[in-house]
Amino acid sequence: MLSSIKGQRGAWVAEGRKRVMVVDDAALVRRYYREALETAGFEIEEAMNGLEALEKLLQAPVDLLVVDVNMPQMDGLTFIETLRRQEGQLAATPALVTSTESSPKDFDAARRAGANFYLVKPISRETLAEFATMLCGIPR
Amino acid sequence: MVSEEEFQRLCEFLYRRTGMVFTEAKRYYVERRVVERMKATAAGSFVDYFARLRSDAGGEIEHFVNAFTVNETYFYREEHQLRCLTGDLLAERLRGKPPGEAIRIWSVPCSTGEEPYSIALWLLENWPLVDQYEIEILGSDIDTAVLERARAGVFGKRALLRLPPHVVAKYFAAAGPDAWKILDDLRESVQFSRVNIVECAQTRQYGRFDVIFCRNVLIYFDDASRRVAAENLYENLSPGGYICLGHTESMSRITPLFDVRRFADAIVYQRPAGGVGG
Repeated sequence: MLSSIKGQRGAWVAEGRKRVMVVDDAALVRRYYREALETAGFEIEEAMNGLEALEKLLQAPVDLLVVDVNMPQMDGLTFIETLRRQEGQLAATPALVTSTESSPKDFDAARRAGANFYLVKPISRETLAEFATMLCGIPR
Repeated sequence: MVSEEEFQRLCEFLYRRTGMVFTEAKRYYVERRVVERMKATAAGSFVDYFARLRSDAGGEIEHFVNAFTVNETYFYREEHQLRCLTGDLLAERLRGKPPGEAIRIWSVPCSTGEEPYSIALWLLENWPLVDQYEIEILGSDIDTAVLERARAGVFGKRALLRLPPHVVAKYFAAAGPDAWKILDDLRESVQFSRVNIVECAQTRQYGRFDVIFCRNVLIYFDDASRRVAAENLYENLSPGGYICLGHTESMSRITPLFDVRRFADAIVYQRPAGGVGG
């Protein structure tokens, strides 16, 4: 059923679609990532910061988080740390960090917070779709 | 049709409402729109129409002001300037700006929002660094009625005609007969505010921008207000920042403060990077 993401949008049957939450304070960036991921067949949820993301996750879990670092209210790394301390399956949600910072200390900080992967902005539509696919465990 | 005195009263009225200055030289332009509105309201004479206008019967002020602006505006207007923005201007502005910093763009006057939203759409579609910088787009106008409509983000088919169909499909949702609403993410990515560009106390509070789009408004000002507006806009540019005017307008005729820059897609004006200018 999930044999390929190379098909067009809607190629997956509805119950098989993976859900991704894009957590970024910039509306344009959320739209850009949403579009890239929707085109690749994902279903998208959005949050403006870590706090909103936590609140939404408690209502409905997702298969992957795409998380910006610098955000008001609650930044991305604090959000991932907080998430990792939750009870049950929620704590294990894979998190892909997206950031403009590209130094080893930033990578380390993200890893320590519990990020599964780190991409440096700018991120092309194709790259984002590719890593989301990988982190969702979709066979290619 | 309209006596000189009536014309002057009408122009004074327009100036108070919009900041636009019309002189005898623009009389034909003004009269054409008055005739248009007289027909639409079935007014028997100019005197009748002007009475209706001043009492704002049926929201006539907004209709009248819109007759001067809305017909002329649509998405991706002067697309060559948008190409210039992503092809040349931003690349220059990014030099020495670390990733994550703000890129500030001002659309003034923005009318019902087509221009600032076009900038947002254009960047999303054509600028691969859209997630690497914090993009701030501000749309300003003197007229609160158009700002309200800009914030609502609902447009008729005519405004969308120049947009490629896949862009309309991606970023707009049908909202009634001949009504298309731009998606919330796009609405959130543009801020709107009321500004009169000849009032420096107002312009100053918005800080400095990397690029300003100020199209087809200076032509309606008299020489003195035009110079004041140009100087205000100069102050609103970061050193090295750019201003795009309408294709019939020339900054060199107004003030020597700016350098003219010719790029592949457009001619734009630049605040000199080093000095204070003028």
